[in-house]
Amino acid sequence: MSQSTNGKMLKGRDLITVGIFSAIYFVINFIFMLMSGFHPMIWILMPALIALFTGVPFMLMCAKVQKPGAVILMGLITGLLYFVTGQFTVVILATFAVGCILGEIARAVTKYNSYIGNTVAFAMFSIGMTGSPLPIWIMRESFLAQITQQGMPADYVATLEAVSSPAMLIVMVVAPLVTAVIGAFIAKGMFKKHFTKAGIV
Amino acid sequence: MPGTEISRLRIDPRTGLLLLVLANIIAFSNKSLSVELGTLGLLLFLTVLCGQLRSALKWGAVIIFLFALQWYILPASPKIIATSFSIFANYARKMLPCLMIGGLLISTLSLREIIVALRSFHVPQKLIISISVTLRYFPAIKEEIAHIGDAMRLRNISGLEKVEATLVPLMISATNTAEELSAAAVTRGIENPAKKTSLIQLKMCCFDWIVLTVGSLFTVVALIF
Repeated sequence: MSQSTNGKMLKGRDLITVGIFSAIYFVINFIFMLMSGFHPMIWILMPALIALFTGVPFMLMCAKVQKPGAVILMGLITGLLYFVTGQFTVVILATFAVGCILGEIARAVTKYNSYIGNTVAFAMFSIGMTGSPLPIWIMRESFLAQITQQGMPADYVATLEAVSSPAMLIVMVVAPLVTAVIGAFIAKGMFKKHFTKAGIV
Repeated sequence: MPGTEISRLRIDPRTGLLLLVLANIIAFSNKSLSVELGTLGLLLFLTVLCGQLRSALKWGAVIIFLFALQWYILPASPKIIATSFSIFANYARKMLPCLMIGGLLISTLSLREIIVALRSFHVPQKLIISISVTLRYFPAIKEEIAHIGDAMRLRNISGLEKVEATLVPLMISATNTAEELSAAAVTRGIENPAKKTSLIQLKMCCFDWIVLTVGSLFTVVALIF
């Protein structure tokens, strides 16, 4: 861990590490984004599914870059890439900002190298993705009208309206927290089984 | 010489990035079909003007396919298929303008020019470094997954084991790449705090302004209607 002790600013090495793991994070993220087209439920549970599968890249990034700003940088890159693919909304921007800042605080409090701190940071970071389905609840009427007008099939919108009860909103927000903890746990297992042995963390 | 200059108009990377922003605003706010078709048509024209005839034809085919899919094929197919695929078609349609501009940027500009453009927009150097690594790493992931897939096929790995057997080598190779790339970049002075200079001089010409004006007009129209 020699690289984490010299200085508290993000250096070239850290920037490259964050860049690479952000690419992996984004690929996994994007796969689920596309899959959300199959059924509205997948869309609502998308943040949770993403959290389950991105634990390893996120936790590995945290282990490699034990400095302030890494989580925010990862969030910024993801946000910018979503921007380029035209999937961006103001709501995602807001949830991502909140998630990343809370994640940074969690890591700062736990001095960047604790498993629990990184898990909390990951849970907060995963909450950022809830901005994608969140408009279904907070701008219900206009949002449903908008996606219908943009060509979403009527069946999909009708099912979406039926499954998005207020209780579902709680599920949508709590589920990523739970799966993020599971994702981090899987990551811990993989660290033990592979990465520590291979000498990369 | 003048002939080649005209047939190969180039857009400035800054124009390209601004167009990307405009295309996003249009994708986000547009509801009318004519504006969408107009945007796609103009982008095809721009691609041709920049000398990318083949990719223009390719995009044209994609556009026709998507609209045919959504209007003629899907209404006639079974309901489950129709619902799932019309969302794909819908996503793809929304992304098309951005993808076309992105494709044009990638095929006509080098990453170096885009970096200089980002720098001239005062994007922080740290963000520029990470995002250019991210962009460059996507093709590497694809290649890596293909190699891992080959290796798995040799050893008959299947089922749930496959996820772990893909993820672990991918992570290890990502970590190694990060190490190697950092060593190379640090040697070349990536951590030098001095202001970076570049051989590339960006210049906006009259073509850039025309493109930007038309792009802004379309954005305004999309926002109003």
